[in-house]
Amino acid sequence: MGNLYHNKTAQWLVYTAFFLGLAVIPSFVSDDFLLNQLATYGVYGMLALSISLCWGFGGILNLGQGIAFGLGAYGMAMTMQMQSQTESNPIPPFMLNNSLDQLPWFWEPFSNTAAGLILSIAVPTLFCAIFGGVMFRARVSGPFFAIMTLAMLSAFYTIILDRQPYTGGVNGITPPSPLQLGGFEIDPYSSTAYWIVLAILVTATVVAKLITQSSFGLVTQAIRDDAERVRFLGYSVAGYETAIYTISGAIAAFAGCCLVMLVQYVSPAQLDVGFSLSMVIWAAIGGRLSLLGAMCGAFLIQGAQSYLGDAFLATWLLILGGFFIVVVRFLPNGLASLLESALGLLATKPKTPAAETNGDAKPLPAE
Amino acid sequence: MPGLLEIKNLSKSFDATKVINDFSMEVTEGTLCCLVGPNGAGKTTTMDLVTGRIKPTSGAILFAGEDITAKHEHVIARAGIGRKFQVPAVLKNLTVRQNLEVAYSRQTNPFWNLFKFHKAGLKEKLDEIATLAGLTTRLGEQAGILSHGETQWLEIGMVLMQEPRLLLMDEPIAGMTEGEIEKTARIFKDLQKTATLIVVEHDMGFVREIADVVTVMHMGSMLAQGSLQEIEANPRVRDVYLGEKEAA
Repeated sequence: MGNLYHNKTAQWLVYTAFFLGLAVIPSFVSDDFLLNQLATYGVYGMLALSISLCWGFGGILNLGQGIAFGLGAYGMAMTMQMQSQTESNPIPPFMLNNSLDQLPWFWEPFSNTAAGLILSIAVPTLFCAIFGGVMFRARVSGPFFAIMTLAMLSAFYTIILDRQPYTGGVNGITPPSPLQLGGFEIDPYSSTAYWIVLAILVTATVVAKLITQSSFGLVTQAIRDDAERVRFLGYSVAGYETAIYTISGAIAAFAGCCLVMLVQYVSPAQLDVGFSLSMVIWAAIGGRLSLLGAMCGAFLIQGAQSYLGDAFLATWLLILGGFFIVVVRFLPNGLASLLESALGLLATKPKTPAAETNGDAKPLPAE
Repeated sequence: MPGLLEIKNLSKSFDATKVINDFSMEVTEGTLCCLVGPNGAGKTTTMDLVTGRIKPTSGAILFAGEDITAKHEHVIARAGIGRKFQVPAVLKNLTVRQNLEVAYSRQTNPFWNLFKFHKAGLKEKLDEIATLAGLTTRLGEQAGILSHGETQWLEIGMVLMQEPRLLLMDEPIAGMTEGEIEKTARIFKDLQKTATLIVVEHDMGFVREIADVVTVMHMGSMLAQGSLQEIEANPRVRDVYLGEKEAA
């Protein structure tokens, strides 16, 4: 028997157990504030998942995941804001304060909740498809692509900050009431909100996991290894890169929507460069080659930041930085690779000819 | 009957240096053509031009009657041209099995492949090629730990998984043992029943064993083309290439 870590059935079992564990949390947590905070961790989990998919499996380092995340978040905030506007009061207050007397055209569709929610996902996804398509077709890759995403992120940040009458500027948008969905109000501090986020996280994880196990996933891993070689096998590398970058962006857009549903607030901070970098750090520490590892990395770092960050104040960033350096230096594939090595030691040697078993050759895995 | 591959007046310059200079050749379907020539003659550059890795300055390349000049690499590969690189290029972080699986590229569309978890006919083909390449016991290994000879075999296996109509082999026997070279020659002869091959090779012993047609390149142009006997009898070829070899 080989390394249990690479056993697909075992992986699915671990994922199931992990999510069942997350699903029972509301039965133990009576503090609404804590439950809301735990639900936001689900958002961080989605972001780490999207980075793991794009960077770990597709080999595309994306430092601008905040674009898709932020656009999704703004879309949701606009939808929720418009839900509290009425016939007699059709324009959000911050626009009136900025002496706008008419609703801007791109706000119009958000008056309809369904259209608003669809746009919240469709706009960031379309942006990724176009931006990725243009970049990958021109064979921009590696650090150059990372820099382009960073530049694009800064551009979006600046535009949103600068166009105060349309975006709320630095104050952002604070919808006065929770999201109304099909006649129900989703209280962000309820277990309903927690379960909605968890359901989206589970769906995104299952989809991502299936993608990594499909023929598509194999090709993207081949591209991560040697894009040049894969071209000569007949695959359009740009097509695959655009597809995985877009899927990853769509997951981040869902995360953005969930965040605003939970905190009823959006600001340019969602497109802050530092936040996009921390998504990459979560995935790097947890293990970018493992979807679950990356998610756990997000929970670990954000959890530590919430609790230790208060205790250590500014020193916390030094601790985080030091930890990051140690992980990158000694565990380039993150904490998940510790588990991989541990299970590798337990694995019994295959029964095939003994000569073939020398060394603990591990394929750089699909997990 | 026109050849499967026709190269017409191909030229390629890097800045002021003419690497390929008005080079033309034609490869008939079902033949094994060896492309020989001293270092820097433009053999690998020709391969790069045919497979779309670089674009020619002028000239045309036709494959099965279709113009493939300056098309994208993956388009040319899909048309049925497979290539083995001079420096063996395998996917080092994937397993041997995954390498062969990726190379089995019947379906190349990213969207269809999202829903594909099982490839029809893959197992049979993979078993066949793995046996041929002598890699059946290594399928689970990471390709990066293979020896140089095994890596060569893996890449040949990958090209075969593609089932191309035309195979371009850039120095396929470098780093192989005598026994492996003989085996390669046998496999190439076997392949010729279903495909056309162009082999770039320095080893004249190997060329003697496999070639139907030999094309000699020198300074980016064709020096001579013909059967091995004709080539060996050609005084100009003796001067620039074979002569050096024998002297060495």
